[in-house]
Amino acid sequence: MENKPALTPEESLHIISSMIDNVQKRYSDNGFLYLLWGWVVFFCGIAQFILWHFFHNQNHYLVWSVLWVVLIFEIFYLRKKRVDSNVRSYTGNIIKYVWLSFVLLLMVIFISLSHLDLSIFQTLIVPVMLAMYGLPVFLSGIILRFKPLIFGGIACWILSLIAGYVSYDYQLLFIPAAMVIAWILPGFILKKKFGESSKARIMTD
Amino acid sequence: MFKDLDPILHSQLRLAIMSLLISVREADFIFIKESTNATAGNLSVQIQKLKDAGYLEVAKKFKDNYPQTTCKITSKGVNAFESYVKALQQYVNVSGNK
Repeated sequence: MENKPALTPEESLHIISSMIDNVQKRYSDNGFLYLLWGWVVFFCGIAQFILWHFFHNQNHYLVWSVLWVVLIFEIFYLRKKRVDSNVRSYTGNIIKYVWLSFVLLLMVIFISLSHLDLSIFQTLIVPVMLAMYGLPVFLSGIILRFKPLIFGGIACWILSLIAGYVSYDYQLLFIPAAMVIAWILPGFILKKKFGESSKARIMTD
Repeated sequence: MFKDLDPILHSQLRLAIMSLLISVREADFIFIKESTNATAGNLSVQIQKLKDAGYLEVAKKFKDNYPQTTCKITSKGVNAFESYVKALQQYVNVSGNK
């Protein structure tokens, strides 16, 4: 690009829109973390259901310990991505705090509910988790202007409403179902979009 | 009455730099260079002009033992950009109505 001084207003508007579009395409999410978390939580949910429903294992909830490993991996992954990245976006920053507040809220609610009787705890935990989970997914969709995540968030709230009428055993299957709708599908769509924009960029570079 | 277009922004490369930085929090020199397809020399000159006008904040640091220049738009830059876009819209609306 040269520094052409005499621009028409149309040319100026074209430069502005093309640069903003360029940034959005270059720094679109590759969907990796959505797919990682989606699949991990999906398999944890299925494993918990199998352990509880078929084997009546009292320690079925321990499968969720795997999430700590994924969380540590994510911290290192994001740190490396931050170091390698040569741009910081506003949306990335807002989304980071949306998810951070979700994780903190999740801990607070979990600790508060753990004082309840086991039967009440088991009745409430899945609907509450799904209702809360819908919030960051929905907000991420709004911030990124990405409809699959908006629908994913709404789907979590619908699943939460239905889960209230289902026994604990089958409530456990709502978590993997929410993962497929709210993370795995949007993750695949993001991955596909990222692949397409990278390919288009290579062709235009 | 038309507003005068800001001469600092009304040039292809400086406008491209500002448009890019308006949509991100901060970006480094290489990112701006790749996005604008400008030469390093020309880009440095234009970034300096934007910095002198108070539209950009430029920080020089080291990343993996290599110098890294990062640019960030200032609130003065945001205001100037917004006024520029408003003035442009005025021109486009008038020429569209003709």
